[in-house]
Amino acid sequence: MFGYLQIDKDELKVKDYRLYKSVYCGLCRQMGKDYGIAARLTLSYDCTVLALLYMSLNSEKCRVIHKRCVVNPLKKCEFCNCEGKALEFAGAVSVIMSYNKLEDDINDSKALKKLTARIMKLVFKRNYKEAAGKYPEIAAITEQMLKKQTAAESEQADIDRAAEPTAELISKLCAMLGLKGHSVHAAEVFGYYVGRWIYLMDAADDLEKDIEFGVFNPFKSKYNGDIEETMAYCNEVLNMTAAQITLAYDLLDIGAYKSILDNIIYDGIPKKQRYCIFGKYSRGNGKRRRVKKR
Amino acid sequence: MNDPYGILGVPGNANDDEIKKAYRTLVKKYHPDRYQNSPLSKEANEKMKEINLAYDTVMKERHGKTTYINGKNSDNTQYDEKSRNANTYNYSGNAVYERVRMLIKGFNFTEAEQLLGDILPTGRTSEWYYLMCVISYNRGWLEEANNYIETAYSMDPSNAEYYEMYRSIKNQREGTAKHTGENSISDCFGDCCCDCCEDMCNILRRFR
Repeated sequence: MFGYLQIDKDELKVKDYRLYKSVYCGLCRQMGKDYGIAARLTLSYDCTVLALLYMSLNSEKCRVIHKRCVVNPLKKCEFCNCEGKALEFAGAVSVIMSYNKLEDDINDSKALKKLTARIMKLVFKRNYKEAAGKYPEIAAITEQMLKKQTAAESEQADIDRAAEPTAELISKLCAMLGLKGHSVHAAEVFGYYVGRWIYLMDAADDLEKDIEFGVFNPFKSKYNGDIEETMAYCNEVLNMTAAQITLAYDLLDIGAYKSILDNIIYDGIPKKQRYCIFGKYSRGNGKRRRVKKR
Repeated sequence: MNDPYGILGVPGNANDDEIKKAYRTLVKKYHPDRYQNSPLSKEANEKMKEINLAYDTVMKERHGKTTYINGKNSDNTQYDEKSRNANTYNYSGNAVYERVRMLIKGFNFTEAEQLLGDILPTGRTSEWYYLMCVISYNRGWLEEANNYIETAYSMDPSNAEYYEMYRSIKNQREGTAKHTGENSISDCFGDCCCDCCEDMCNILRRFR
């Protein structure tokens, strides 16, 4: 995953922020416990959201413990210690997805990145096998999704078709969150649009780079030389997807952590989108705030 | 049944005005207009019923009369399912399109699409494009849905049904993430938004 699902810190209460942070750190800790130190590197905001969603929908309780941070032993952090399977599930998803993403990187990157991906892949191989052994369904749907993605890219699919593999993957993951009754369908639809949004957000974010390097990008066919105009179009596409996310989210039976999840869906998503689409090209204060790494 | 106050999201000691306000907010949130042609219309409808029932139960408990189910003297913000369904569709009378509408209602999109696909490009009316839009919209192919509704609307701008869908999609596309042209402090993310654990973020950034 790509780390596009973030909180909007400014709108969050401090207690919710602390809780969110403890889940983030808790997930890191859980991955360290389950797979070893290397797996901690796969930690992402997206998987934190997945863990939160899992905890919320299954009303899992979480206990906060104080321990030292592995990365920075001088700092004491709050860790969420979850009784249920939420962190374990999210950790497995994180490891499996990252491993598969490396495979993807090997296929379509240039020399140096390819080499890094190869080395990382070796490091993660054991972790991947462990995670896939525990959750074979996740490994199966991820592999399937990657195949579909490669096929879609090779036939220069349109926006809807190109986003479908990721959308379906997240949809299936959300269906696994252990829901009952009619909210399973809502969760599937929710996952579909979240996956679609993440994929398209990533595509819009990489558009400039992809044009330069001649890599596949679903928005490329809309590019007519004016990057700002194309970005405005991307924004429309993403807006519509985000609107559908909200519709589906409203129908989920969100229990605990509602304020955090609400914050991510209603504030975090638009904010991240605004930042990625307009932040780079903003002429508001005459400065380019973010310089893209090449 | 679950706690009606819980469904309305108000404490048990809330006064009538607070309850009414909460009820109205919920009605707006789950209104069928918002979920029109959406794959989740059924779920939204269920939710709506649940909310109406909860409101009704609370009001009955407090004042000993029903406001929603008998509905005659209720205030007009209340959502009434029956009067809505009566004027939702204006059928064109084309047998194939009517069949397609039935299939869409039953969430049978593959068959509906096949039926529509059998119609030759020369015979495709605005209704054809509208129905294709509904199918794509339900499948999550939003760009395709947008293209179809644009065609349907441009072919027949006077049709209320197409206009409704057209407007709803345009509103969604305009969305919340507008570019204001100025940057506020809260618009600035930095490279990682929430320094959850700054050290971890820094390490991760080096790897990516």
